[in-house]
Amino acid sequence: MYNLIRFIQKHHFVILFLVLEVLCIVMLTLTQGFHRQRRINTTNDIVGKIYETGTNVGDYFRLGKINRDLAEENALLRRQLAVVTDTTTSYVEYVNADTIYEFIPARVVNSTLNRPNNYIMIDKGRADGIEKDMGVISTEGIVGIVADVSAHYASVMSLLHSYSTISVRFKESGQLANLRWETSNYRYGIVEDIPTHLTLSKGDTLVTSSYSYIFPENLIAGTVEEPLKSSTGALNRAKVRFATDFSSLKNVYVIHHTNKAELDSLFNNQPKL
Amino acid sequence: MNRTVLNIIRFIALVVAQVLIVNHIRLGGYVHPYIYLIFVMLLPINIRGWQLLLAGFGVGLAIDLFMGTLGMHAGATTFMAFCRPTIISIISGSQKFENIKEPNVNQLGFAWFLRYALCMVTVHNFVLFMLEGFSFHLVGQALLRILLSVPVSIFLILLIIYLFSPTRKKDHSK
Repeated sequence: MYNLIRFIQKHHFVILFLVLEVLCIVMLTLTQGFHRQRRINTTNDIVGKIYETGTNVGDYFRLGKINRDLAEENALLRRQLAVVTDTTTSYVEYVNADTIYEFIPARVVNSTLNRPNNYIMIDKGRADGIEKDMGVISTEGIVGIVADVSAHYASVMSLLHSYSTISVRFKESGQLANLRWETSNYRYGIVEDIPTHLTLSKGDTLVTSSYSYIFPENLIAGTVEEPLKSSTGALNRAKVRFATDFSSLKNVYVIHHTNKAELDSLFNNQPKL
Repeated sequence: MNRTVLNIIRFIALVVAQVLIVNHIRLGGYVHPYIYLIFVMLLPINIRGWQLLLAGFGVGLAIDLFMGTLGMHAGATTFMAFCRPTIISIISGSQKFENIKEPNVNQLGFAWFLRYALCMVTVHNFVLFMLEGFSFHLVGQALLRILLSVPVSIFLILLIIYLFSPTRKKDHSK
């Protein structure tokens, strides 16, 4: 026992170093997994508050762009409103969409672009009704999925994340495929699992499919930039330009699916095959 | 000013500057400068080993909390703190530190400090990108990032140290 204490005293520098490094690696493996399996909550209010203060200062320099974006969105909404009030058929459609999905506006307080796994922090949290796994969109297109929530802030796993996969549909053909982020460039993603009979061309639009209840149907995800020939010959791939410009993200909407609990319980009660 | 108070102020100022300003530098996505390393670099020379390691771990953990990368920066800075005594003794050779409290540029000279910064930042960047490698599998890309990030980090570190150097040479010759 005495020898052990002597040994620790003599080598305390190396021992403490090893203890701290092991601690770091344990924390790293616990937090860097798929967002549903994160076991340590890394979103907290103090961090959010400091980022918010920093963003408040930075916002003054971006007011012009923010105003333009909001004005464009207003114009878009006015056009849609005109459609709603004009024709009765689409009115029903819009009312339905409105009762299923609620949109909670939020502001981006911090975001990363060039890491292997990118997150966006927004200034709304549990107190505002934000929950894990809710979809997040911007005025341009889809942004990501809520990964972690604290009382007043939430961190969103953006499309720019190695685990992010979104079920999308080709607007023209209706073919389903999966959208992922593979490159290190924040502007482009990859759409996979496209049957070979489908001819792809530049500019084909990808929208969210109805299969996921995280996002409403028909939201723009991106456009095909360049069809890629598959090496194995089975299924094609294509390079996709994201509709959202992640570098200038400012105002986003969190989507609350009002019937999500019901859908979840229905899904869980299905007989397992 | 009390040295402990000075170091606490340095800790807070560097972490805030790192997460609010420097993290937003986007030069092609490959350059990730880290200025918070100044905190570990300027800790007193005669600091105890365990204090040095805990200080390194602490500043890394603070950065991790902001970046949502729990353990990544803490691991890299702890390793850098662990290497610090060795680095200092290698680059100093027979040089003695009798009246020198902290390894700063105005006491040890530009050449010494540049070598010191180069070793420390390279060690940190290397470990950091290795730890990031848990989720990043492109080795070539990681090396390119180290190659581009280290010079930018050192440039910013020197700039900040010269700007906030506590004892400027008094020059009234004008």
